[in-house]
Amino acid sequence: MTAEAVRPVERAEAPWWSSAGAIPGLPPILACLGLLVIWELLSRWYDLAGLPPPTSALPQIPGILTDKEALIDIADSLRRMATGFALALAFAVPVGLAMGRSRHVAAFFNPLLMVIYPVPKAALMPIIMLWLGVGDASKTLVIFLGVTLPLIYHSYQGSRAVEEKLLWSAAAMGLTPSARLVRIVLPAALPEILVGCRTGLVLALITMVTSEMIARQTGIGNIIFVSLDLGVYDRVYAMIVIIGVLGFVLDMIFEYLRHRLVAWAEPSQSIVVGTA
Amino acid sequence: MTGRGSAILDAMIGFIPIIATIALWQAVVMAGVAPPALLPAPGTVFARFLQQIVSPAYLEHAYITLYRLFFGFAIAVAAGIAFGILMTGSQAVAAIVRPLVRVLAPVPKIALYPAFTLTLGYDDASKIALVIADALFPILLSTYQGASAVEPKLAWSARAMGLSPLKTLFRVVLPAAMPSVLTGCRIGLIISCIVVFLAEMIPSTDGLGHLLMRAARNFQTVDMFVPLITISILGLLLNAGFNALRRHLLRGFAEEK
Repeated sequence: MTAEAVRPVERAEAPWWSSAGAIPGLPPILACLGLLVIWELLSRWYDLAGLPPPTSALPQIPGILTDKEALIDIADSLRRMATGFALALAFAVPVGLAMGRSRHVAAFFNPLLMVIYPVPKAALMPIIMLWLGVGDASKTLVIFLGVTLPLIYHSYQGSRAVEEKLLWSAAAMGLTPSARLVRIVLPAALPEILVGCRTGLVLALITMVTSEMIARQTGIGNIIFVSLDLGVYDRVYAMIVIIGVLGFVLDMIFEYLRHRLVAWAEPSQSIVVGTA
Repeated sequence: MTGRGSAILDAMIGFIPIIATIALWQAVVMAGVAPPALLPAPGTVFARFLQQIVSPAYLEHAYITLYRLFFGFAIAVAAGIAFGILMTGSQAVAAIVRPLVRVLAPVPKIALYPAFTLTLGYDDASKIALVIADALFPILLSTYQGASAVEPKLAWSARAMGLSPLKTLFRVVLPAAMPSVLTGCRIGLIISCIVVFLAEMIPSTDGLGHLLMRAARNFQTVDMFVPLITISILGLLLNAGFNALRRHLLRGFAEEK
């Protein structure tokens, strides 16, 4: 979100809180504190066993992060997510780029993608489990499926918008069509592909958690539901906070990388959301 | 290449992968590579789908799913548009909401679902809460982005003609930002559709997602495909319906279809 958002209604002068926004990182921290205060108040107000206060849930986090089994679970989850994401990247980007450069390729894939689009990918988990078992293969496949569509879509949009003159110049200089795809289309479409990657990252996290909630064997989702079944609610909430922080941190790392890679392109959107 | 002829050709090319997928599915079944218990024939699945779609018990579950979907989606639309518009109009609202969105938007909402079930119970409320949490952010963000890009002169003119700031926001800025708002709503609608199904798959007693899990527990493979097909067709229909509504609402915008 740009700082220079147009204000249709003019303001007399900058109020005191806008100076707090000038310090980078402070508003999100204040937002986190605010959420914790609301959580504390809600838990005191309702006094439910199912809603422990943050003061009893948060101290669980160091315990979880030093517990060897929990760490193995978290590492398992992250490994599956990275594998699924990498496979999706290797498959989706070439398909998307080809769709953007050839009308026939686009016509070939578009209806199929339109049909697949509203299928809840994580809901395929029970069927895929029948074929591939409850292990890594089925969970990785579900993550792959969840991430592929936005990646194809954004690569397609990116390569479709490449300036024709760039391609003509490259052709005039004697580049072969495949070399043009790698050396002109791919870099030109990179900012848009990275927008897709960011959506994909959120989706990978969501499908990862969901797949583990359905096939409870290892992983982060498994820890949550085992704790839920045992009635250790502090631990459930601690895990939710850990997953939330994980999502936030991955997003921040990605933003940093994106900034390094394509600093020449305007960020088209600073916050991307998505779902499985 | 003339326009009409190539459009028909494109449509025909587009059917190839869909038909090929179904043909491959049929071929795998006929070749006996996978036993029917693992992969039923496409014909069996579609016959079962047609049989279920007219059965009252099945429709009851579908109705519950739809009710949760629309209840949650409606609240997400109202809250998302209201906050998105107010953020453009007031620095105070923006200063509070923007960091909250920055922190909450990348969080996988499905992880909140256990917390929702603990506090709101296993009935409708927790599923509706999850739909709201997931659909809210795309609607809010695209409303905010659309409203921020509205020509300021429009708002100034309205103010000069004596409209109050709040009325200016909702009667001038909101209609002008409509294309972007509707894009957000469309994403939110598909998300709601998917999320409500997922929420019903994790502990639940009714709804289409529950039917899928029940079939999975009983190894009724055919019945596992039917809810999935239903929710996908529902998503396609909602998407098409929303596009029709969008064309109607945006008939004044020259460049939008």
